[in-house]
Amino acid sequence: MSAAVRPASVDELFAILLARDLRDDDRTIMVGANMPMARAAAMLANMTTHPDARIMIGLGVQSLGGGEAPAVHPFLFDPRTLAAETLMHQSRVFDDMSRPDVFFVGGLQLDQRGNINLFGIPDGDGGWKMRGPGGLALATMSSHCRGYYVVMPRHDARTFVERVSLITALGDAQERRRLKLPGGGIRLVLSPLGVFDFDAAGDMRVRSLHDGVEPDAVREATGFPLAIPDDVPRTVAPTADELRTLRERVDVHGTLAS
Amino acid sequence: MSGARSGGRRPVVAALDDALEVVTDGAVIGIGGAVTAGHPMALVRGIARRGVRDLTVVAPVGGIEVDLLIAAGCVSTVVGAYVGVEVVAAVGPVFRRAVERGSVAVVELDEAHVLLGLRAAAQKLPFLPWRGGVGTSFPQLNPGLVAFDDPVRGEPLLAIPALELDVALVYSEIADEFGNAQPVGTGNMDGLLGAAAEKVVLQVDRIVATEEIRRYPERTLFWRDTAVVRAPFGTHPYSNGWMTADEQHLRDFVRAAKEGEEAVDAYLRRHVLDAEDNDAYLEEVGIRRLTSLLV
Repeated sequence: MSAAVRPASVDELFAILLARDLRDDDRTIMVGANMPMARAAAMLANMTTHPDARIMIGLGVQSLGGGEAPAVHPFLFDPRTLAAETLMHQSRVFDDMSRPDVFFVGGLQLDQRGNINLFGIPDGDGGWKMRGPGGLALATMSSHCRGYYVVMPRHDARTFVERVSLITALGDAQERRRLKLPGGGIRLVLSPLGVFDFDAAGDMRVRSLHDGVEPDAVREATGFPLAIPDDVPRTVAPTADELRTLRERVDVHGTLAS
Repeated sequence: MSGARSGGRRPVVAALDDALEVVTDGAVIGIGGAVTAGHPMALVRGIARRGVRDLTVVAPVGGIEVDLLIAAGCVSTVVGAYVGVEVVAAVGPVFRRAVERGSVAVVELDEAHVLLGLRAAAQKLPFLPWRGGVGTSFPQLNPGLVAFDDPVRGEPLLAIPALELDVALVYSEIADEFGNAQPVGTGNMDGLLGAAAEKVVLQVDRIVATEEIRRYPERTLFWRDTAVVRAPFGTHPYSNGWMTADEQHLRDFVRAAKEGEEAVDAYLRRHVLDAEDNDAYLEEVGIRRLTSLLV
């Protein structure tokens, strides 16, 4: 028997699930800071399923159709990303809001309606109990892009909450319609426990649970009533081929492995 | 290199400490660069050494330049979309502690809001409209952001107020002695920061002849009132177009900052206060570390 392929790390699983879910007509895939798994997903898709797409990673914009990916560097704005077809000018990127089809966001808190908080937790007295990173470009990108993915590195009752303390990116589908936000909203939420989306009323539901995750464990780790189907689907595990491509051609430094 | 030549063009090159005299107590300064790239760290260390007080710092997507200035006691307000060290620290550790204590105030903006605020200032407008942020907590956290219904189509929008700067501190790999900057790469938001400011202090790695600048005129940025300061490797520990960020140095800084004020003070003394100029700082970092970063 040949050596077994090492099981996927959480970040490797995220990268493969994100790459799989991209739509056929996603043409420009933009990745923001501190999301190496999304950078890997964009490269993986660009090299396999989406050869015609452009990926905006770091300071450069490129298309890898059929070719080799640059490595996933630790920092987004690595100068090696300047070797590209064109450059991602921070001073011009917001001049064409029809362009980024896809974006990826993380969050301190995510709520039942899909709202994200990256500001922090207020102390109720005008100050902060816990200060977060700040808004980055979440409000702008989530308003405009055709769809975005939420990647939550932790899943517990403090991160999956009924209502976020503050809204950095508006996910609530009803509110988005009322306020005429042009973008398509959240496509999927990924966590270490499963894959989630939103029902017709705009409430989060389970789409699939990862291998070995029991429904009760997810209920317990979620700060609001979560709709879980009786016959809950299982996340299709990464194939040996997907993992090989990711490890040997995209994440060659093993940034996502640990 | 100062003073007018007879009938000639006047160079604007200045020594670092002389150029920083325009940054006075209570000033509103913008600091260029983004995330881990292109921050004018030699200028930032110079300001920390000068002990300027009560600064409002506009950092579009900021890093430890904000932490250092807060640790040195220079800052009362931070304006921007982010302060952190990306994968090394989701939130700038000194920034986080100061904000949680209430000793530094934050003016919350989305990255696009920073851009539009600078553009409004550059265009001498009171505000520019934007959609991103509608339906969020931005106007609650930052009352300067005003929700309004647009007069043309009646859609809900936000008014992003002008971000007028006293001084912009920006970086370019290359400039000539007259302030023609040619950044390698994108220049981040530096062009607009300069346009929104009364004065620009431009940190560069290399000062080249204007004939060099003329070879690629499409790359040139310039501002009305610019001082050029030469500081090779001066973005360290952050990257420029020729070198990567120094991840190890950033990790060491973050570890010290999380440890507490004594460790931060020790870092400040060693790398900022006791390093009397950029060369002394580079000696402290070490030539082997610096050359290992070149791409």
